[in-house]
Amino acid sequence: MAEFEVLATRLQAPLHRSPFYEWTFPDGTLGTAFYRIETGYLLRFPDLADFEVAADGLSVICFPAPHVQDATPEHLYLNQVLPLILSKIGKFVFHASAVEVANGAVAFVAQSGRGKSTMAANFVANGYRLLTDDGLVLEPSDQGYLVIPSHPSIRLWEDSQKMVLARNTEAAPPLHFTSKTRFLAGPGLPYCDQPRPLRAVYFLGDGSAQDIIFRRLSPAETLVGWTKNSFLLDVEDRAMMSAHFDRVGALANTLACYHLDYPRRFDDLNRLLRAILDHVATESLRI
Amino acid sequence: MNDIKTFLISPHVLAQEVGEEIVLLDLNSDTYFGLDATGSRIWRLVKEGKDLDEICEALFNEYDASREDLERDTALLTQELIACGLLRQA
Repeated sequence: MAEFEVLATRLQAPLHRSPFYEWTFPDGTLGTAFYRIETGYLLRFPDLADFEVAADGLSVICFPAPHVQDATPEHLYLNQVLPLILSKIGKFVFHASAVEVANGAVAFVAQSGRGKSTMAANFVANGYRLLTDDGLVLEPSDQGYLVIPSHPSIRLWEDSQKMVLARNTEAAPPLHFTSKTRFLAGPGLPYCDQPRPLRAVYFLGDGSAQDIIFRRLSPAETLVGWTKNSFLLDVEDRAMMSAHFDRVGALANTLACYHLDYPRRFDDLNRLLRAILDHVATESLRI
Repeated sequence: MNDIKTFLISPHVLAQEVGEEIVLLDLNSDTYFGLDATGSRIWRLVKEGKDLDEICEALFNEYDASREDLERDTALLTQELIACGLLRQA
């Protein structure tokens, strides 16, 4: 695992070069700018922190912006930087949550804002154990692909918190730049700390469906879906991109995946949970 | 463009076979393209270094279609792939 160090605060001085890549939020605001620097990469989270990542991904130094809360560096590291580093050292990392079910794990793949954390929290609220809130790590094995547990916590918007989590669930200190709260594993948030074989994969739709809809994706749709939802530190590294595309192609040729869309209604979450569990029990993951 | 008969796959394009299809990823534009079974066959022949005449000959031996139709469809597809920057003239 990478060495992570937080140094003193530092002003985010202009870098006099263009980022080679940018992450933007659904509303178009800049979330992260990716720059090349002599020692590797600089990831700039505007007004929050700079992270300098070594070229090999094995060490990370954080320079918080002045006046940010103490918990900000770790928060950004766990949610954004660590998945990118894992991709740099050859791990298979995706924008997806996962929970433990009978005989394995179910993953929910989606871009930000489509409800993958709420989905995972709904399973947790019904006694299933959390494997990851985001940054799903998959590892090929003799049993197929394994879901590797990540940080034992889950981040939820306020409306989801009230609907799906127990009142006594321990929360991390709130942060000013996000209205999501991180809840920590404990009695109110059961967590699975062992790898589990992947049983089913659902790519979450945009919520436009009038009812719960499952649709099996073609291998080509699956390939594009996994690729678009990959964490990748250096998208200009052609050799890495080529290798990643090959590995995702193998994944798409091996696993049957489904599109899942449903009306985003909290009062329908139990029916959604039962529908997913029925679907998992009846559909085969293998192509 | 209609005269182009030899092709190279653009260096910024990744191709992946899934099922009977090929998915192309243009790294410059972060755009995905899908080829059906026949398009995938043509792509593989381009990758083998075949020119337009050789591609049409191979398809004529494999598909139950007229040579004229195959030549027209192959020319249309290769022109479109060139227009999208996925192929270029060798």
